[in-house]
Amino acid sequence: MSQLVQGNEACARAAIASGCRFFAGYPITPSSEIGESMARLLPDVGGVFVQMEDEIASLGAVLGASLGGARALTATSGPGFTLMQEHIGYAALAEIPCVVVDVMRGGPSTGLPTRPSQGDVMQARWGTHGDHPVVALAPYSSAEVFELTSRAFALSERLRVPALVLYDEVIGHLRERVDIADVPLARGERPRPSVGPAAYEAYAPGPDLVPPLADFGRGYRFHVTGLTHDERGKPTDDPAIVGALHRRLQEKVVRARDDVVSVATVALEDAEVAIVAYGVAARAAERAVSDARARGLRAGLFRPRTLWPFPDAELRGLASRVRALVVAEMNLGQLLLEVERVAAGRTHVEPCLRADGTPLTPEDIGTAIGEVIGAAV
Amino acid sequence: MTAKALAAATGIDYREHLRLPMMPHILCPGCGHGIVLKALLRAIRSLDLDWDRLAFVAGIGCSSRLVGYIDGCTLHTTHGRALTFATGLKLARPDLTVVVITGDGDGLAIGGNHLIHAARRDVDLACLLLNNETYGMTGGQVAPTTVPGSVSTTTPRGATEPPFDACALVTAAGASFVARGATSLPLELDTLIAAAIAHRGFSFVEIESDCPEYFGRYNRLGRAPEMLQQQRRRFDEVDETLAAKRFVGAPPHAGVPRLRTGVLHERKT
Amino acid sequence: MPAESGSVLLVGVGGQGVVLSSAVAADAARRSGFDVKQSEVHGMSQRGGVVSSHLRYGPLVHSPLIGAGEADAVVALEWNEGVRAIPALRPGGTLIVSLDRIPPPSAFVDRHGGAVAYPAVAPDTLRRTVPDVRAADATSVAAAAGNARAMNSVLLGILSPLLPFPAEAWDGAIAANVPRAALEANRAAFAAGRALRFPAAPAPGTGRPRRRAPAEPPSVGSVDIVDAWCKGEDCAICVRACPEYVLGFEPDARPVRAVRPDACTACMLCEILCPDFAITVRRAAVPAGPSLVAAETT
Repeated sequence: MSQLVQGNEACARAAIASGCRFFAGYPITPSSEIGESMARLLPDVGGVFVQMEDEIASLGAVLGASLGGARALTATSGPGFTLMQEHIGYAALAEIPCVVVDVMRGGPSTGLPTRPSQGDVMQARWGTHGDHPVVALAPYSSAEVFELTSRAFALSERLRVPALVLYDEVIGHLRERVDIADVPLARGERPRPSVGPAAYEAYAPGPDLVPPLADFGRGYRFHVTGLTHDERGKPTDDPAIVGALHRRLQEKVVRARDDVVSVATVALEDAEVAIVAYGVAARAAERAVSDARARGLRAGLFRPRTLWPFPDAELRGLASRVRALVVAEMNLGQLLLEVERVAAGRTHVEPCLRADGTPLTPEDIGTAIGEVIGAAV
Repeated sequence: MTAKALAAATGIDYREHLRLPMMPHILCPGCGHGIVLKALLRAIRSLDLDWDRLAFVAGIGCSSRLVGYIDGCTLHTTHGRALTFATGLKLARPDLTVVVITGDGDGLAIGGNHLIHAARRDVDLACLLLNNETYGMTGGQVAPTTVPGSVSTTTPRGATEPPFDACALVTAAGASFVARGATSLPLELDTLIAAAIAHRGFSFVEIESDCPEYFGRYNRLGRAPEMLQQQRRRFDEVDETLAAKRFVGAPPHAGVPRLRTGVLHERKT
Repeated sequence: MPAESGSVLLVGVGGQGVVLSSAVAADAARRSGFDVKQSEVHGMSQRGGVVSSHLRYGPLVHSPLIGAGEADAVVALEWNEGVRAIPALRPGGTLIVSLDRIPPPSAFVDRHGGAVAYPAVAPDTLRRTVPDVRAADATSVAAAAGNARAMNSVLLGILSPLLPFPAEAWDGAIAANVPRAALEANRAAFAAGRALRFPAAPAPGTGRPRRRAPAEPPSVGSVDIVDAWCKGEDCAICVRACPEYVLGFEPDARPVRAVRPDACTACMLCEILCPDFAITVRRAAVPAGPSLVAAETT
């Protein structure tokens, strides 16, 4: 049975359906509805909602709850996302599952609180310091917010990584028909120790490079630290151990890449021009593709549903066979840098950028398509 | 109290509760924090708590390193944020007893906002704030509790800002149990920490500790033994009213009103 | 003890009731028609520091203070304080001492001037220097009489036959000075103490150690040191805290060593204050010699 569901509400409902039983957050436009929905929904399923004093505290509380064994969520927007960055790095190094939703608005600073943007793509990748793994998913509809929030939980738990869900203000506030029963829920459990407490080492990786994680207070005693540590959690600066840890943290996500990376495409089979777009820009791009096809132009859409890790392999193949890639995003060129890196001169890369607080339109993208085809002719 | 606490201090094998491969700990010679860790272990022993239902959460700094040496569920978090992790852990797992260890910089400067909000929420945590008046881990900078006039690397001509009274702060913020102890009164610490852990609601114990390596050296307070002796004089037989009004004649620690130890505030919840 | 005048030194640690006991004895003296002077000397009594009270009575007393070697009796509510007070006794004086052991206060106290040694002494050993030692497990006696905290009255009871004060004077003094709620317990404890019988002091000349004296009892405490954890001379808290100078450093400075191991009284200070978990104090029970301890009552 279909329902009219707002993107932010879909996020909350997906979290509950995915077993999330803890939410800590701080109000910020345009993500506040997620927290409000969780405040309404969690008590009925025996979960806990807490409004913290800021975003730093919010993610801290989420990580504490996660170590206690709860699936935990927080949601914010650009400025709050910035405050969370230290704890995102902490979660990456300490390997604590958590899901962070960033509903993007115009920035920098307070910027355009009520207006959409896609300005946090690079913050999601590089916002915290040091090398670290990142999983960031980018839904473009209410239904996909539901699906990818659920997927974020599954990946976060299974890989012991912070999982980010990035979408813009338009997707967050958009109400559209969703048949929730039809949306596939992702499954993913945190690996549990197969040994008893005496033999347990909280950072000794399994075959998939992910260490099993016990809950606090259930018989296993272990140390969790943001200091670089050995397999028992003991802080160390031994270069061999430090180097191996940093590589393993990246490698565990790379190994799971096939489950992490997801791309949706439209009409790419015979495309001469491929649009690369995500979030609300991809909705405009879908229209631009059909408009271009109606004009006889062979356009298609490459829509990463996973921004990080970036779908290098998928895009590289495409770059080898199209005449141009049009990168349509609502910032001054962030994912553009990744596309240029992967294309590496194989094809022309055309930016189609907007950073004025309004969504990209099909016309903006159509114009860009026309220009690259005209230029190529 | 003394005889009873001493009995508890006798016969405990601290090593049963330490991560032996992590020892010796990293703290400087004479650092008072190890004295607090011992008192904490004795307090837990006196309460006969289930170690599998205990968690220890700390932030960043010398004091926060203590949790790493406890053979339990230990969480060494980010600078200033221990209480946020602890809040999440306690809310998600009310069956756990959660002890937070923080310092004066960690708990009152970078983490000051979390401290007052944890106190306001009156969430059931026991927070031990080890006050040594300095940032030891970073080499001895001025802290929110540094007594005016004290030399630090960032106040080479003497600190000028007034310090926080941490106990008054959390009392005003809503904490339901507030106490002050000192490493120079180590057995009283057992009692205070045990009471804080047993209390339901946010309980806070400020513990005067010493940093001989930086604070003591910069301020010519002697080494650890001298600092402990001086510290004790700060608490003895002080007229509280006069102390509060800063009328008390200059104790060895010039310019500071002498401090009261013991339970300062308690509200049964 | 002379009937016309006398000097009694009461010692103990804070909270034991030294001052109250002294007040009771002084009041009993007054009620017996004596002039009396009493003076307390306390250190950090409220935290378990040492307390002593000087009491002198006679036809006319000018000063309450008892000089070294002048006390007719020392009443010690705590074992080690009693040992420490021996120099105050005159030759032939009586040491009344409880076997209760309360180690020094929880943290730094001023070190009790190293002039007075703080030896680990078993009751039998005392007889070499003090022929008349009356040692009792006062707390147990008081507990049996109704309230362990009235142990100070047990000791007064032991003292009472030595002083020329009639029983009514003692009882009146107790009634006038002890808080009402604890009065009956203290009366019972006093009576129990007064009824204790001790082995007679040996005749002069026989109290000296026999040639085949039993070996000195083992030290009351011992100190174990985890060498690898001790941070040495830069810390030195234990060395400075130990009231008995048990701990010290070899020239190579680290780790700390028990340089006077036999002097350890197992007071625990070093263990409690060692920030590095490097010290463990092992405590042995005080061996109480049966020949000195009250074992029967009449």
